[in-house]
Amino acid sequence: MGIADKIKEGLKTNIRNNLDKENIKKILNVISAGPVLSACGATFASKSDKYLNIYSIKSLQRAYSRKYPVAYGSLFLPYELFHALGISPFLPEVIGGFTGGMGLADRTLKEAASRWYTPDLCTFHRSASGAVEMGLFPEPDFIICANVACDAAQKTFYIDAKKFGIEDKYYLIDVPYKNSPKAVSLLAMQLESISSDIAAKLGKKLDPDYFAAIINCSNEFRDWAIKVNDLRKELLFYPKNFNGLNFILPFHGLAGTKEAANLYKNIYLELKEFLEVQNGIISGNKKYKAGNVYKGKTIPSAQKLKDTRKILWMHLKPYYKNNLFTMLEENNYTVVFEEISNVYWPRLDPEKPFEALAIKMLSNPLNGSIENRVNAILKIAAEYGIDGAILFAHWGCRHSNGGARILKDSLKNIDIPLLILDGDCLNKNNSSEGQLSTRLQGFIEIVDCRV
Amino acid sequence: MITCGIDVGSVSAEAVLLDRSDGKFEISAYVIAPTGGDSQEAAKNVFEKALLKSGFSREMISSIVATGYGRLNIPFATKNITEISCHARGVVNFFPDTKTVIDIGGQDSKVIKLDSKGNPIDFLMNDKCAAGTGRFLEVMAKALDIELTDFAGIFNATHEKVDISSTCTVFAESEIVSLIGHGVEKNRIVKGLVYSITNRIISMVERIGLEEPVCMTGGVAKNTAVVKALEEILDIKINVPMEPQITGALGAALLG
Repeated sequence: MGIADKIKEGLKTNIRNNLDKENIKKILNVISAGPVLSACGATFASKSDKYLNIYSIKSLQRAYSRKYPVAYGSLFLPYELFHALGISPFLPEVIGGFTGGMGLADRTLKEAASRWYTPDLCTFHRSASGAVEMGLFPEPDFIICANVACDAAQKTFYIDAKKFGIEDKYYLIDVPYKNSPKAVSLLAMQLESISSDIAAKLGKKLDPDYFAAIINCSNEFRDWAIKVNDLRKELLFYPKNFNGLNFILPFHGLAGTKEAANLYKNIYLELKEFLEVQNGIISGNKKYKAGNVYKGKTIPSAQKLKDTRKILWMHLKPYYKNNLFTMLEENNYTVVFEEISNVYWPRLDPEKPFEALAIKMLSNPLNGSIENRVNAILKIAAEYGIDGAILFAHWGCRHSNGGARILKDSLKNIDIPLLILDGDCLNKNNSSEGQLSTRLQGFIEIVDCRV
Repeated sequence: MITCGIDVGSVSAEAVLLDRSDGKFEISAYVIAPTGGDSQEAAKNVFEKALLKSGFSREMISSIVATGYGRLNIPFATKNITEISCHARGVVNFFPDTKTVIDIGGQDSKVIKLDSKGNPIDFLMNDKCAAGTGRFLEVMAKALDIELTDFAGIFNATHEKVDISSTCTVFAESEIVSLIGHGVEKNRIVKGLVYSITNRIISMVERIGLEEPVCMTGGVAKNTAVVKALEEILDIKINVPMEPQITGALGAALLG
């Protein structure tokens, strides 16, 4: 275990043993201080890991500091709007996901259960609701959610709004089911109206120049993210601990910030460096001898690279300790792309920011018909030349699991096997490790046999 | 070449020694024993007994492939392969044209689809629940105070079944106790139980897509009542190996 991992473990233990908001705030203040972050930064497994951690910590610290207005936001919102309004976004579902990794989900889920949240509800939302009930999350000034993909946020966030007595600052963005010019205009009007209302409640006006600058930053982030995704079409030799499923907070919550653009620029530079090493291995460059270590990662042989099986990962992953990714790596399987890394929206027009953000929301393949998601997956499957796909069927996730059958059939039509892995991203008690690994190993054996 | 396959399940462990020397293909010995509380010990036990039965020494065994839920916990195994691949391989040995395998073991049940070469191409397993597995039948037999071996006779002799509405093993047990309390004939309950487990398997078969020939393996394949109910509802003939419980271990030995 590296120093950064040891520090992370120490902090997790501290939070677990002193579970209250003030302690979380204190820890975030300490670790987000410049010298500590830069000292820790040097110890992360990779640059991507370093920037991911630093920017996530800073974003959380900002929300907990209460120096700025805080807004809870559901996934798939146009967070550019939050940044343009000077609001700190706080994504309860994503932070609810952190409770799984922190070993806190047992407690937050127990709290939610004792407050009548049904066990049938997705654990991201249940854990977040439990954390709100326990007073672990920062108090919000606003709560904003949308009906894209998942509808649990609309309901649980409203309960949060009532708890904090801010029902008048609860906004539900009603995203039309179908993408059309009329839908764009309707959605843009909603975004503009909500922004005006929030700005009025904050006693300020939305600065159009600042908004345009935020949109430009978002475009910069998008450009780097696309470059990352393009590069990954060839990449098989990844930095240590790289997992695209870890980037959900910056990908959404930091869109429109310089941090997101910088993070993706650094991911690109790091992956490019690893691609160069990969090319060196393949061309027989003696500098990259198989078995040696490059930046903490064992160098594979050219043959091993050639034999790597490519996997597309759909939906999310278990955030508690599990052996799924180790098992993939040990069997020479690489997740070459994740559904959540898909840059699905076009460049945003800074001259028409509300319209641009409406287009971004409506372009989400998870909005509307399942055909949108299927078409996006088929495109990714073709572009990345995958050997197989894995859909982690998270307990209680209607929007994802509801389309599992059609996804399986659609991939089968292009001769790609899909493993539907039933489990729970947060609640380890709702996933059987033995069953998960048997299913995954069985799938690996099937793909190996095909190839 | 002599290879060994060891299948450690939740209820029983099996070892198969396969003599493949000089072009031979012979099951030299097989052993079936309860797993008990220690899967590692169970694996060692069936392996040693199989050696003793066959007369081979440990040194003569060129590979030991472990399978089943205990496969990762057998230190002397040279390789581990899932029961999905092992059952598929084992079945093809008995019935080469098989397209669908129904395996019902003590803890899990699975349906495996095979291609024309006998390779597994897809599979489905039961979720984290004992319903639809051998354990379900065991618990119910105990609640009814009937031997599992008597199920087939009762099933054939009884015309009417009683519907068992609970899908959970624990709730189904309570339901049975309640039915007995209401004076419902045990034979009708047995028939209902067989259909209950069968319906769960059928939904898996239908999800994966039924393709004949079908072969059934695992301990529950010895329960002819279940096999008959499956055949009746699916309207097909199901092949069952002579000793269905060793299919996984045999497949493991073949893949060694």
